[in-house]
Amino acid sequence: MSTTTIDRLRDTELSYRATLAGGALSVFLLIALLGLAFPSSIWGNFLAILTSRSTLSSALRLSVPITFAALGGIFSEKAGVVNIGLEGLLIISAFTAVITTAVVGPEMTVVGLPAIWIGFFAGILSSVLFSALFAVVCIRFKADQIIAGLAVWLIALGLAPFAATVYYGGVNTDNLGTTLGTWTIPVLSDIPFFGAFFDADPAVYMMLVAVPASWYVLNRTAFGRHVRASGENPKALDTVGVDVSRVRYAGVLLSGFLAGVGGSALSLGLGQFVGNNQTMVNGKGFIAIVAYLFGNYNPIGAFGASFLFAGLEAAQIRLQQVPGYAIPDSLIQTIPYVTVLVVLALVGRTRIPEAAGEHYDTGDDNR
Amino acid sequence: MSAAENAKAVLRRLTAASATERILISFAALIMAVLVGAVIILVSGRITTCQTAATTLFGTGFCYDPVEVYLVLFNGALGEPFLVNSPGILKPLNPNWNPLNFGFALTLKETTLLIFTGLSVAVSFRAGLFNIGTQGQLILGGLATALFSFFVAPLLPSGLVGGLILIPLAIVVGALVGGLYGAIPGALKAYADANEVITTIMLNFIAAQIAFVLVSEFYGNPDSQVVETTPIPDWATLLPVAFPQGGDFSILALAFGLALVVAVWFLLEQTSFGYDLRTSGEQPEAAEYGGVDAKRTTVTSMFLSGALGGMGGAIWVLMVMGKWQAGVPALGFDGITVSILAGNNPFGVVPAALLFGTLKSGSLAVQFGTGVPKQLVGVLRGLIILFVAMPEFFRMLGSTIDLEPDRETVATDGGRLGGDDE
Repeated sequence: MSTTTIDRLRDTELSYRATLAGGALSVFLLIALLGLAFPSSIWGNFLAILTSRSTLSSALRLSVPITFAALGGIFSEKAGVVNIGLEGLLIISAFTAVITTAVVGPEMTVVGLPAIWIGFFAGILSSVLFSALFAVVCIRFKADQIIAGLAVWLIALGLAPFAATVYYGGVNTDNLGTTLGTWTIPVLSDIPFFGAFFDADPAVYMMLVAVPASWYVLNRTAFGRHVRASGENPKALDTVGVDVSRVRYAGVLLSGFLAGVGGSALSLGLGQFVGNNQTMVNGKGFIAIVAYLFGNYNPIGAFGASFLFAGLEAAQIRLQQVPGYAIPDSLIQTIPYVTVLVVLALVGRTRIPEAAGEHYDTGDDNR
Repeated sequence: MSAAENAKAVLRRLTAASATERILISFAALIMAVLVGAVIILVSGRITTCQTAATTLFGTGFCYDPVEVYLVLFNGALGEPFLVNSPGILKPLNPNWNPLNFGFALTLKETTLLIFTGLSVAVSFRAGLFNIGTQGQLILGGLATALFSFFVAPLLPSGLVGGLILIPLAIVVGALVGGLYGAIPGALKAYADANEVITTIMLNFIAAQIAFVLVSEFYGNPDSQVVETTPIPDWATLLPVAFPQGGDFSILALAFGLALVVAVWFLLEQTSFGYDLRTSGEQPEAAEYGGVDAKRTTVTSMFLSGALGGMGGAIWVLMVMGKWQAGVPALGFDGITVSILAGNNPFGVVPAALLFGTLKSGSLAVQFGTGVPKQLVGVLRGLIILFVAMPEFFRMLGSTIDLEPDRETVATDGGRLGGDDE
């Protein structure tokens, strides 16, 4: 592909995304206008929901697992390994976090660390171990990345309810009776609406740090350069003497770490793991993939997209509580999934990293 | 690499991954999954609590004995041909065993359903499309069948004649709805380049919700607390022949499934459409050069795959439930395992479905007999896929064990090995 085509592609992509973002904004403005004009109508309710502080805080909370999984997906795919198994990583970490806390004892403290934080780290560890398995299978044993990713998802989807049944006798865990709680920053949390940013789940603060940090690592450090090269042009990376496999392992393990934070935060925020059907993760790992595609592999864009999807989810939950609608709850629940589908259809032509999904042979891989 | 070398490499790889090797890899994957499953059973036997240890290894007691679990599993799936509770390694035959038993009917029921979903996944995978949406296509296809049968049944004479007219029509309706639902991600892939893995997974969620709303709000059974449709009259369902009533297995459905296997094989291997489908899966560029309309092939393949999934739903409704009920079992996801285990070959689907049907049916006996949760099958499902996905693992294992000098070919082959032709 010549540089001009790439430029043109990039231009159309940018304008595409700008149109979409503009579209979302104008929908919001339309609702605002209608809501202000007819405060007692359905639009008034919409406006009230969209501008309420509790919607913002629940949107922030809901975006945590999606954002962390999306950040993880970016590192992995940028390094050249398509990680479709993010959903599985979220499931396994969400489950491990709860069961570890339960085994330690929810009210115990070990070496000054409350049990729930031990559970939090155990969840991350389980996700890292799973991603290590995925990495070995894909990089060392050259498995098809999509099928291996599906396997990671399906193993976690089977293992978590299985282990829950062994321990609790049912696919759901008992409620721990404790959660990660909220960290409230005095004064700032009193700000109307935006105060939700300063009166939140600890994981929300972690997310607000992790997003710019990921951007920095990816775009401003040597490691980030290696990750990008490993996905775009592994041969060049190899030529300058960097071990492509090692960079890829690092990318996948990092995705396991980040997804683990998201999964632990998801279940410990509720104090329980729910293992029915698709478990409490319920497609968040796949939504995360769409979020980073929408965000064009930019951590900040991915966060924006995750926040949009989470915001829809939050609004959807609030909408169910508004009486007087003929729309059934289950139909409203499809809104986030339908949106994901529409977004994917509109930004489907994302340029994925050149060598993503392909195995790279160093040539001296003759061990 | 020049074009000629490239072609040679492709040929070499194709011959390397011959049918025999495929079968060997599937078996090896199965054995590995069973072994890892045994370790998981042992570990979970340490987590749970019990009065007496089921087995003792290295001086440590375990609540579950993996060997016993697998014995009970296969024995239960076949309807207890052996008396596993008797002492000794060689178990005596059960004198009262009858092949037309309940446990075996359950196994064949699962096998029949898995043949449909396995074929559905196989068709799309052969076309190079990762259709994870068989589950959604099955849910909506099944619902369409249930509603169609319920509304049309009063218009037809009841009894054999009515059944002969209604059942085939109901299956066609299920296939159509499943096919159309499958064509959506096909069209999104063809015309908007949207990744089908994600779209089909999203469509699974949407299908479950839509079906739930339709039944709970509009077409539900008013006399029932559960979200389900009103039962179809018995004469319009596939009733068990020869096998016990409770097993929900009809040999007619199995015969239909087997006929479909032959039909799908014929379509894929003997027709020009099948050729287009396979080449666009194996070598998309070559297919384009050869004049294949890639977009249309994508949509048609997904329609076909969805139609097979929808038929699976129709059979589930007509043979198993006699109605549609929320909480449809994960037959679509199991279909992925079946197809991958079968190397996406229609004929391979039959033994793979039988094997996985045995696992599913036996898992009930396991839960009852040993206390190991039936969710174990879910774990094995993932493990099997994982191991089939890495043929290289077994090649390396093979070359370290027999130390044959075939490492050279593995290394010089370069590029993408193994699973890339799936």
